[in-house]
Amino acid sequence: MKAIELQTIQVDAKAIQTVDAKTVRKNDAKAFRAVDSKALHIAKKNVKEKLKNFGQMFWTIAFPIMMLIVYKLAFKDDDGSYIINGLTVFSMEFPGIVVYTIGISTMTSAVMFAMSKKDGTLQFIDTMPVSRGNVFLGAVLSETIFMNIQLVIVFVFGYALGAHFELAMLPLGYGIAMIFGVGAIGLGLIIASLLKSPEAANAFGMLTHMIFMFVSGSFFPMDHAGVFFTPHYWVKQVFLQLTVVGDSFSDLLYSCSIITPLSETTIFPIWVGLIIILAFTTAFIALGIKIFQRKTSL
Amino acid sequence: MNATKHEVLQSNYLETSYFHDNVDSSEYIIEVKNLEKYFNGFKAVDGINFKIRKGELFSLLGPNGAGKSTTIRMLTTVLKPTSGDARISEYSLKREKNNIKSLIGVCPQENIVFDALTAEDNVEFVGRMHGMSADDVKERSKVLLEKMNIAGRKKPAKTFSGGMKRRLSLAMSLVHQPEILFLDEPTAGLDPQARRIVWDFIHELKTTGMTIILTTHDMAEADALSDHLAIIDHGKVIACGTVDDIKRSSDNGNVIEISFFSREELIKAKQQLEHVDSVKQIICGENNKLTISFAGGAKGFKRDILNRLESFKTLHFREDSLEEIFLKLTGRELREN
Repeated sequence: MKAIELQTIQVDAKAIQTVDAKTVRKNDAKAFRAVDSKALHIAKKNVKEKLKNFGQMFWTIAFPIMMLIVYKLAFKDDDGSYIINGLTVFSMEFPGIVVYTIGISTMTSAVMFAMSKKDGTLQFIDTMPVSRGNVFLGAVLSETIFMNIQLVIVFVFGYALGAHFELAMLPLGYGIAMIFGVGAIGLGLIIASLLKSPEAANAFGMLTHMIFMFVSGSFFPMDHAGVFFTPHYWVKQVFLQLTVVGDSFSDLLYSCSIITPLSETTIFPIWVGLIIILAFTTAFIALGIKIFQRKTSL
Repeated sequence: MNATKHEVLQSNYLETSYFHDNVDSSEYIIEVKNLEKYFNGFKAVDGINFKIRKGELFSLLGPNGAGKSTTIRMLTTVLKPTSGDARISEYSLKREKNNIKSLIGVCPQENIVFDALTAEDNVEFVGRMHGMSADDVKERSKVLLEKMNIAGRKKPAKTFSGGMKRRLSLAMSLVHQPEILFLDEPTAGLDPQARRIVWDFIHELKTTGMTIILTTHDMAEADALSDHLAIIDHGKVIACGTVDDIKRSSDNGNVIEISFFSREELIKAKQQLEHVDSVKQIICGENNKLTISFAGGAKGFKRDILNRLESFKTLHFREDSLEEIFLKLTGRELREN
């Protein structure tokens, strides 16, 4: 009889513990998801901080202009020898510049998150009634504002220097670049989670971005299958075909519409490319948030 | 079985502690129950218990690495306890930490301010995070920054001195008028003048009825500010109570030396003081000097003596400092790492 009573008590205690743990987890998850106007205040604070940071302003404004000038000088088309299918090499390389400019968010966001870990501001915010959902959304919003500035600079200066793009398809290209940018923030988040110092995050963020740029053939076309495993390749190629070459929406539906460095056409229609970009972005941001949460929730 | 001298002393302190006060539990705004925290197998906080009354200033005193900051970080919801729980106001630390966040203000040990922002932007940001309206936060920020003597500065916080950053950090923790304020080593690294300003401000805050929890390794600070205090060492509470309680429990008595104008006055005083409970020994010395050994807190005893004596020439106290009591309890210096 005593043994049965003891067993019941043990089972009850276990049940209470399980319910308790479940309630805690449920409350934590609910609190994490809560997103409200506080995200806007966090974004506003981040923007103010970035505006006063010389390095951030260099990467945002000076760097895209510098890249355009370097490419323009490297691919002069005075004698017409740099014309491919009626487009200058500068125009063909223009998507690579877009990818480089937006992808730099991997480094800037890695530094931002690593800094908030190191200087204690993240923990300080954790003592306030603010969900981590708001913290991440605020960071994405502020980074997005700077990406918009970068993109406007790249398009305006690119156009002025002679890059060709179809104005009707520009909003789609712009959207693709922004989606890629959010993925780049996710990649930055992963880097910031794994590294301890902002200096290491800065170096590793830049290194990762450069490796992706080379492997994807965004700097100059690469003839290997590795390109397919980088989001940079898909962004560059879809942006090129839609915005620079000017394929129409109906082209999205055709199979074999994506041109690859290995052959003229592939089995992929362009919309698959769009899905791949979305998938990379979702994976990077989800993984980034998960790892960052695990590493910083003490 | 063979308890060390320190263990015996510690158990004496805890027996006379705060837990055994016959106080209605609703008076307590914080109740910490068996709180534990492990870091990779290392026990940083070892099942601590204490209670804090509403409106009092409670200090957690201990050397570096004793577990004070870990305790504060758990109570401010930054760290998850490995086991145990705490009730803060009506909320459980384990289950309702999001409700707790709205009640508390935190001034961390390091000057955590947003370096690129101005003092005003820093305070306003915290206010907005606590859901204050733009108008309210502006008004409150102005008042607090004027109080802290850093109003009107348009330069970013990174140009501020350590003392200014500390005051800004205090302003940030107070913008939303929290019920409970956590101050983690509020005067660490400050010069004596800046320290005095912070102490005066803390005294002023106490008059508003705010509950303040302060960690310090400065005995003078704990002595000057606390209503109650807990001494923590190796993650355990080894003494808890008022400063006088803790001193009263000291096994070595304190000493007071009183000199009188005449022998008659001395004898009269001796007769009066012989009946005082806390007096252990009275020695009549030369030059009409009386040396009295007594147990317990000096403040209470001093009051008692002044009420009993009609006249005297000079009066000198020599009592165990908290530093000495800490040494007796732990067997090590307070500032030892």
